[in-house]
Amino acid sequence: MEFLEFFTIDVWTMIFTWVNMFILYKVVKKLLLKPVMNVLNQRENEVKKIYDDANEANEKAASLEKEYSEKMAQARDEAGEIIKQATLSAQKREKDIIDSANQQAAAITKRAETEIEQERKKAYRNIKDEISDISVAIAEKMVQREIKSEDHEALIKQFIENVGEA
Amino acid sequence: MEKALVLAASAIGIGLAMIAGLGPGIGEGYAVGQACSAIGRQPEAQGKIQSTMILGCAIAETTGIYSLVVSLILLFANPLVKLL
Amino acid sequence: MDVAINGPKIVFTLPFFGGINVTESITHSWIVLLVVTGVCYWLTKDLSVQNPSKKQIVAEKLVLMARDLLDSNMGKQWRGYLPYIGTILAFSFLSSVMSVAGLRSPTADFSVTLAMALVTFVLIEYNFFKSKGFLGFFTRLTEPVIVMTPMNIISEVATPLSLALRHFGNIASGAVITALVYGALASLSRVILGWIPNTFIANIPVFQVGLPAVLSIYFDLFSSAIQAYIFCMLTMANIAGTAD
Repeated sequence: MEFLEFFTIDVWTMIFTWVNMFILYKVVKKLLLKPVMNVLNQRENEVKKIYDDANEANEKAASLEKEYSEKMAQARDEAGEIIKQATLSAQKREKDIIDSANQQAAAITKRAETEIEQERKKAYRNIKDEISDISVAIAEKMVQREIKSEDHEALIKQFIENVGEA
Repeated sequence: MEKALVLAASAIGIGLAMIAGLGPGIGEGYAVGQACSAIGRQPEAQGKIQSTMILGCAIAETTGIYSLVVSLILLFANPLVKLL
Repeated sequence: MDVAINGPKIVFTLPFFGGINVTESITHSWIVLLVVTGVCYWLTKDLSVQNPSKKQIVAEKLVLMARDLLDSNMGKQWRGYLPYIGTILAFSFLSSVMSVAGLRSPTADFSVTLAMALVTFVLIEYNFFKSKGFLGFFTRLTEPVIVMTPMNIISEVATPLSLALRHFGNIASGAVITALVYGALASLSRVILGWIPNTFIANIPVFQVGLPAVLSIYFDLFSSAIQAYIFCMLTMANIAGTAD
């Protein structure tokens, strides 16, 4: 059995070691690190994908919720607007109705007043005529003579004026 | 005669070389002491302190190992004998 | 006393270039190579993304541990060095721990550890070259003053040398001490059992049973793991240190 020295630098041992290390490097890289890293990366990607999906779903839900709440707010606004509009138009209508009613009432009152006035005037004229007739008749009876209407017309008129003023 | 002289001197050399064992001994003792007080102060960091201490000790041991290598060479692969 | 502390045994000699000695260190490295290849192949035989098997979890844990080690010591931008770090970690640890099986550790051979350290050294110098440029590669040796140049060169050379010597020294001294203890226990049992006339029974080294196991736990397992870890740590620190 031959031995090398206990402490020696053997060039061939070193060269063999380098070759061994190089092969080992390749083995570790190709057989262990590459497949394991592949699997780890794949898993990482999958997890990332799951998280991404979840995030996306969350975002979608949030956006939907926002949309709905916006729509709700919009609808509420619209409803308020409609109610306001309706109130306004109702108020306007109410005012219109009241106004027209007032107008009509005023017109009716006015017409009634005019009619009353006319009636009064008519009655007044009638009374005037009747009084003149009656007074002529009275005078005829009292005087028992024919009165010339032309002569006494002024006298009768004055009388009537006085009656009218009374 | 010459060989006997070289071997005797080598033997003395081996003994002297191993005095270098003092250094790492003192150093490592000090390091371990410090590590103990560090663990006492911060018991939650025990793992980290321990691993750092072992690493530091192993590196501090280097000088002692050098002397051991020198003495082993003189013992088993004495280059001085070959010079004769 | 027949304790023989030798270098690596020459297994066979290739008849090229005036005889290439293929030593135990090399054949045992091949064993490491085969083991690593087999384990890697077996661990990553059928990987699945959805429901990993137990061995796949082990493989993933190994890879992630190495990656975390690299991330915390070098930073994420150096992840390209993960295969190299994994290689030296596996090679160093398995080579050293081989002595549990009674085989001579390849890392107890200075040539092997020096070869490993030289690869690291080349990587360090390459990264210096890449980060500092052609001129900066040389001028960094003259810093802070030009008088320091020889010291800088020595410290530059000392990096791989100390890496190699540390690893070799720890593993080899473990091997030597284990061999010495085995030899001592063998002679102890021979002294105590020497009165037995039957030479076969008298030569059974009964004391070799218990004690070496305790030593083996320290020198083979603990020391191997620590030295592999330190080798990687220093490699990573030195390579990452070239950037600043």
